[in-house]
Amino acid sequence: MNRQIRRLALGLMLCYVVLFAQLNNVQVFGAERLRDNPDNNREIVANYSRPRGTISTADGVVVARSVEVDTDLLRQREYPEGELFAQVSGFYSFHFGATGVEDSYDEELAGETSDLELRNLSDLFVERDRSGSVVLSIRSDVQQVARDALGEREGSVVALDVETGEVLALWSYPSYDPNLVSAPDLEEAAAARDLYLLDERDPMLGRAYQQRYFPGSTFKIVTSVAGLESGLVTTDSPSYDAVASWTPPLTTRPISNNGDVCGGTLFEILRVSCNSAFAEMGSLTLGPQVLLEGAESVGFNSAPPIDLPVPAVSVFPESFGDALETPGSDTVDPDQPGTIFEDTPSLALSSIGGFDVRASPLHMALITAGIANNGRLPEPHVVREIRDADGALVRTIEPEVWLSGMSPATAATMREAMIGVVESGTGTGARIPGYVVGGKTGTARVTNDPPQSHAWMVAFAGPPGETPQVAVAVVVLAQPGATETGGGRVAAPIARAVLERALQPAPVPEAVDPNAPDGEVPADGTGDDAGAAPQASTAGRRR
Amino acid sequence: MTQVRSLRRRVELGLIVLATIIVASAYGLAGLGATASLPADIMAFLGLVLALLVGAHIAVRRLAPNADGLLLPMAGLLNGIGYVFVARLDPELAAPQTTWMALGVVAFVVTLFVVRRPRDLERYRYTFLLIGIGLLLVPFVPGIGYSNQGATIWARIGPISFQPGEFAKLALTIFFAGYLVERRELLAVSTFRVGPLMLPDPKHLGPLLLAWTGALGIMVFQNELGSSLLLFTVFLVLVWVATERLSYLVLGGLLFAGGAAAAVTQFGHVGRRIEAWLDPWGDPDVTRDSAYQVVQAAYAMAHGGLTGTGIGLGNPGVIPVVTTDMIFAAIGEELGLVGATAVLIAFLLFVGAGLRTAVAAEQPFEKLLATGLSTLIAIQAFIIIGGVIRVLPLTGIALPFVAYGGSSLLANWVVLALLLRISDDVTTRQLRQMEGEAVGVR
Repeated sequence: MNRQIRRLALGLMLCYVVLFAQLNNVQVFGAERLRDNPDNNREIVANYSRPRGTISTADGVVVARSVEVDTDLLRQREYPEGELFAQVSGFYSFHFGATGVEDSYDEELAGETSDLELRNLSDLFVERDRSGSVVLSIRSDVQQVARDALGEREGSVVALDVETGEVLALWSYPSYDPNLVSAPDLEEAAAARDLYLLDERDPMLGRAYQQRYFPGSTFKIVTSVAGLESGLVTTDSPSYDAVASWTPPLTTRPISNNGDVCGGTLFEILRVSCNSAFAEMGSLTLGPQVLLEGAESVGFNSAPPIDLPVPAVSVFPESFGDALETPGSDTVDPDQPGTIFEDTPSLALSSIGGFDVRASPLHMALITAGIANNGRLPEPHVVREIRDADGALVRTIEPEVWLSGMSPATAATMREAMIGVVESGTGTGARIPGYVVGGKTGTARVTNDPPQSHAWMVAFAGPPGETPQVAVAVVVLAQPGATETGGGRVAAPIARAVLERALQPAPVPEAVDPNAPDGEVPADGTGDDAGAAPQASTAGRRR
Repeated sequence: MTQVRSLRRRVELGLIVLATIIVASAYGLAGLGATASLPADIMAFLGLVLALLVGAHIAVRRLAPNADGLLLPMAGLLNGIGYVFVARLDPELAAPQTTWMALGVVAFVVTLFVVRRPRDLERYRYTFLLIGIGLLLVPFVPGIGYSNQGATIWARIGPISFQPGEFAKLALTIFFAGYLVERRELLAVSTFRVGPLMLPDPKHLGPLLLAWTGALGIMVFQNELGSSLLLFTVFLVLVWVATERLSYLVLGGLLFAGGAAAAVTQFGHVGRRIEAWLDPWGDPDVTRDSAYQVVQAAYAMAHGGLTGTGIGLGNPGVIPVVTTDMIFAAIGEELGLVGATAVLIAFLLFVGAGLRTAVAAEQPFEKLLATGLSTLIAIQAFIIIGGVIRVLPLTGIALPFVAYGGSSLLANWVVLALLLRISDDVTTRQLRQMEGEAVGVR
């Protein structure tokens, strides 16, 4: 029997050698492949369980923070303000990944950038919380005003510092509660997400910067800039005939002024938002190439370089067909003003923000900021600073110029024209006593039966005698009616409210307790200090 | 004689202290990993492990002084590592597992005390057969037995749940050894030849077929691939060792393969397990839970890599039933290839010591019992580890000494006691013989 037992021992030994071989295969040689398997969410689990910094507004309201929980994931993301900042912060979900700032500043929040990983030489040896905190440029008071002013109407509000590009408010209605989507329980989170995804208004879309709409008459400022920059339009000429409607060449469909008769030079036609004049300006005075170049010089057909994921590209059609005839000439010269193209009727509509022209609210705010800022469109950003877990400053986001879209002279002319719009034109609803406000309204028809339009207002404002400080863009979607008064009536008051608030000094940031980066409440549970009880303090501010 | 004895016991004590230090360090690291502080009860825990193992050691000194010195420390090491992982994975299981560990040591001492000679067991072989079959049937008794996670292997009496099958394996192994000692000569006689195989008289094939039927019955009715494979393998190995006839091994292997093939095609749950084994990343509707488990286990162990994440620093909580069936994956994740290999080696050393005892034994029953018990531990560990790392289809049996579970732990401590009893008996007899010879020469 001993021979058999020895063979048995050998056999069992072989069994264990097989185990050892397979163990090597799983843990060492084949491990890379297993780790890279898309089905493998261990990396996400590990990331999710690590400390993650807070996101707070410029005035110290905590927008997102991690709380320690007694689950396998160890931590859970919490959004004390619910839907108010959801489209800026985004969510950080174990199951669905990250969006918004949670996504675009993921490395900073997780502490994976080199300036966070190695703050001191001693960090090489000492384990500490390396997570970074993100301070937004968004001001909670401006955001709140934007939300209140828009109310329960579908739409977006963007407010910018015209010089630095810092976004002061970025609000869309409807919004969503990132707490629900970030729930650690898959079924709970999926149910919330499905509900939002089924909502045709798409509340999880950051529509202020991720969606584009017919800009309608607000596009007339782009047509004007293109005209001024090309020299084909000045404040004195041309002067367009006062008409009730104008029919472009090659079509029988007139472009009407909604029952009004209007015309004249740039300031006048901008003041009353004269469709016939701008249609003629874009299609015949400028032509497709000049208008396209003008539109692209202020950022159409490229994405604004905002520090949020997937900003929408505003579009202006790149071609309107071949040149057909040049009036007053025997040859066809596409560069000659007045040349008629195959799609000149479409070009006429494009000139007033229709046809295939689309712009995001953020982009319209940036163009307005460019006009306010002597022609320079700033790089937009929602984050102002990165701080480390102890609250020390790591990095400031420096202001940059995105596009030098127009000459200072053009910008100054446009400012003057737009101030006229607010003083005595379609935008009077945006007037703020004691400040200089300029703007442009827009009403972009989306359906005819019943008539519905997007109501737009872009505006800038500042103290008298100084460069304007703040720019806003407001769009309220699918409002009943189609007359040009829509923008002034519906959107202008919202723009006014937001500008007025943004012109006031920001609330003093509350001292954030650096020892409570994870939002821990002190052991005694009272949490008197501001950092430990941000919910209570914001509730107070919101009154 | 006293020299051998005291050397073996001193080695044993030394290894026990070493095992305790390893286990206590692991326990401390688990606490550091999870909460960045040493567990408050580290000294109490250290004391408890040491007390239990030293208690067992003293019992061995008293009751089986000549027994092998490696078995107890290896079992203690495996049990201790297992305890650290159970406590780290589910703190609520720490207290019951401590109790079971203590009860295991008590069962160990009682077994050493009650079973003074291995042949006491041989005499009661048919009693053990009845006990074994009875225990296997307990889960089907209405009011006591119940199913959990698809397997009908549980019994509940009052507040205590247990798996009678764990004790049935032990009882049946004792029966196999006794029965085969009785019948080995009959079984070893070959009467006819089929191809290259020499077969015994068909009437002696009865037990083989009976064991085969029994194993298939377990597989089908209890949905327990692992236990049926384990019991049938131990039986075959013992028949082979007892009769020294390879034909039994071949024939039995073919029988089992045929039965398993039939079960795969006839019974959905067996088929699903096989599919989950062959392609765990395949259709999740077909492969269901067991595929998810092995996939998560593979990710966990790949995450651990060569040296592991460190105890308490991994994330083995995402693996289903990680404290029982899948505990080896948690060890692989947090201790890495190094730690997982150490566990394999601990089993090999344990089984090696058991088989060395079997070789040294002169009494056929002792030989077969030591072989059977060693094989039981070796194959059980092989089947579950193989299941976790996809060498075999996954089955729900416990990793001996390591996994959470009272029945398994108690049964394994009894196995250890019996191995030590045999080892003591064998060595004592050899020493006496040597002494006698020495006296004779003089």
